[in-house]
Amino acid sequence: MTSALARFDPGRRAALEAVANLLIPSGDGMPSASEAGVAGRWLDEVLRLRPDFGPPLAAVLDGLIGTDPEVALARLRSTDPAGFGVLAEVVAGGYFLNPKVRSAINYPGQQSVAIVPEQPPDYEQDGLIASVIARGPIYRPTPGRKRDR
Amino acid sequence: MSPTAEKGPDRIPDVLIVGAGASGAVAAKRLAEGGFDVVCLEQGGWPDYKKARAPFPDYELTSGRDWAWDPNARQVPADYPVDDSESDITALMWNGVGGGTVVFAAQWQRNMPSDFQVRSLDGIADDWPFTYEDLEPYYVRVERDWGVSGLAGDTAFPGGDGPPMPPVPLGRMGRRVAKAHNDLGWHWWPGPNAIATQRYGRLNPCTQRATCLWGCSEGAKASVDRTYWPVAVERGVTLLTGARVKRLIVGSDGLVTGALYVDRDGNEHVQQAAVTILACNGIGTPRLLLLSATSAQPHGLGNSSGLVGKRLMMHPFGTVVGLFDDDLDSWQGAWGQHIHSLEFYETDPSRGFVRGAKWGLQPTGGPLSMTHSYPWGEENAIWGPAFHQQLRKRLGRSAMWGIIAEDLPEESNRVVLDPVKKDDSGIPAARIQYRMSENSRRLMAFHQERAKESLEAAGAYETVIAPFIRATGWHLLGTAMMGSDPSRSVVDPWGRVYDVPNLYIFDGSTWPTSAGMNPTATIAAVALRGVDHLIAERRDARTSS
Ligand SMILES: Cc1cc2nc3c(=O)[nH]c(=O)nc-3n(C[C@H](O)[C@H](O)[C@H](O)COP(=O)(O)OP(=O)(O)OC[C@H]3O[C@@H](n4cnc5c(N)ncnc54)[C@H](O)[C@@H]3O)c2cc1C
Ligand code: SF4
Repeated sequence: MTSALARFDPGRRAALEAVANLLIPSGDGMPSASEAGVAGRWLDEVLRLRPDFGPPLAAVLDGLIGTDPEVALARLRSTDPAGFGVLAEVVAGGYFLNPKVRSAINYPGQQSVAIVPEQPPDYEQDGLIASVIARGPIYRPTPGRKRDR
Repeated sequence: MSPTAEKGPDRIPDVLIVGAGASGAVAAKRLAEGGFDVVCLEQGGWPDYKKARAPFPDYELTSGRDWAWDPNARQVPADYPVDDSESDITALMWNGVGGGTVVFAAQWQRNMPSDFQVRSLDGIADDWPFTYEDLEPYYVRVERDWGVSGLAGDTAFPGGDGPPMPPVPLGRMGRRVAKAHNDLGWHWWPGPNAIATQRYGRLNPCTQRATCLWGCSEGAKASVDRTYWPVAVERGVTLLTGARVKRLIVGSDGLVTGALYVDRDGNEHVQQAAVTILACNGIGTPRLLLLSATSAQPHGLGNSSGLVGKRLMMHPFGTVVGLFDDDLDSWQGAWGQHIHSLEFYETDPSRGFVRGAKWGLQPTGGPLSMTHSYPWGEENAIWGPAFHQQLRKRLGRSAMWGIIAEDLPEESNRVVLDPVKKDDSGIPAARIQYRMSENSRRLMAFHQERAKESLEAAGAYETVIAPFIRATGWHLLGTAMMGSDPSRSVVDPWGRVYDVPNLYIFDGSTWPTSAGMNPTATIAAVALRGVDHLIAERRDARTSS
């Protein structure tokens, strides 16, 4: 276990779960943040990918332990936008790493889609570009020169 | 100067280039083709495309770590701090082989004819010392060398040859907005991009992963580390990485004899050359000129006009997003731009401001991007009970206009040396002072409203005007002005420094005005024009050798 992960003991993880579920509650057939594992497996994965989030996240969570999550979250958002930004990125980042979540939102990732030339090209279809050309040039020419079309 | 200077470890090359970004690459390749012996010093290294994670689930999480645009946040050894505490906009850049093109969005825009003539046409600022027609042949050449896709005949420009590859697909969102603009009678045109839409030289065809801003994993985006530099190196250019220039060395005759640079181990070296070219961008170049002050030129090298560092222009940036009922696949496609619009580019005095802006239609990103406060705005924060519903609304069903606004040159907007901060080589950092003008604010407000109308006409049931954020200083221009009057400019119309005849500047520092376009096409064309002239004049040039 790396030192970044060691810093996230059950107390901090519980604090994370509480606020994470306020950010991403369950609903619309989707799991809440904690149900999706953002304070467990996906927290470990996020910190492995972004160890730089470890220290600021730890500081934010320590400020949340033993407080009312709703009040503490509202305070964090208004007084420490950078800290809130890290918290939100860890929660949403972990949530969207979960393959079940990705499939439920129909997000396959950034896919490789070859450019297949169409005939005629898409900009020519339905008279699209012909309409622009028919409207004529819109630029101001260099002084002393005429528009060349 | 002879193009066949003796080669060897201690050789004195014909030309030293500082900076391996866009303009340095154009100069290096052309000089090598002309038979010149060239050494380039670059403070960073080659990009590591193993870190371009587009094909992997962690892409959205890791892109911000490995491909961050703000050197103050990235803080890798190649970076130098840029204190922006007195600036409305943060300067963004990539320090390494390829420069900004490694992370640029590949939106490839020529300037329009009026951009070169703003004093003659609009009575403000300064004309450039050449016209669109003078530059046009260089645009054509550079677009072939670079690998640009697009379509000739754009009605916002004079006729002539277009880029060598067909444009990226309009996609569902491009088609919708194009049709809406036809209904409104507004200009649009297929987006010109530095993206290969077919195999082209060293470039693979684009696979529409929409990640150009975070390193192209496919080798399809034309960044100069992939296109120009391998050719230049094959043709004999010596490219030294991890070599940070501390100052230029000036001889008793006032000519530059080379540069003092620091390697990654902190050792200092001297690289001599007959001619030196600065290609360090609108912040790195004035920084180096100010660092190179001498007793004869105490206010900075080449600064008898007092303009070195002044007239910094960074293009205030705006975004307007539209939400649509239909699935537009809007995390995919070239990013890049699907279409652009120059409908409101030219000055119309009745609008209450001068000059204009270019719009580029872009994808909006994957799910994590849907949760960010930019462009969505704090007031539309996604968190809480409506999270899932909001996510469904945004993901794949949104499109956005990016708006590049022309800012006017003002001497109070500038780059100075930081009196306190230093980079990790102990060299004074840069500090920028930049305030957005009333003209820029009005211009942006007008354009955002029109862009909203555009998306509404395309069927958006809701639009979001993104909040203003500081981290949009992608374009660094104007800080070593080019002109025909030596008392009012730093370099002549060919990029030669008036005060130092064997020193040239080929990056965006030389722009007299900023245009409202993404600048790299024009930076590259102006660099090619300058280097062609340098080559043609080389026998007459006064050199230190
Ligand atoms: C995120 C992002 C997106 C962008 N998108 C677009 C776009 O879509 N379209 C567009 O046209 N433009 C875009 N740009 C801007 C584009 O990248 C720049 O206009 C272009 O790269 C500028 O070229 P340049 O030669 O002036 O300088 P750069 O490309 O910035 O290169 C300067 C080089 O000089 C080196 N250097 C500086 N100081 C020293 C020193 N003292 N010693 C040694 N080396 C030094 C730097 O390390 C750097 O590699 C974007 C920029 C960014 C950051
Ligand atoms: S959109 Fe094309 S060019 Fe851009 S990163 Fe993806 S594959 Fe590369």
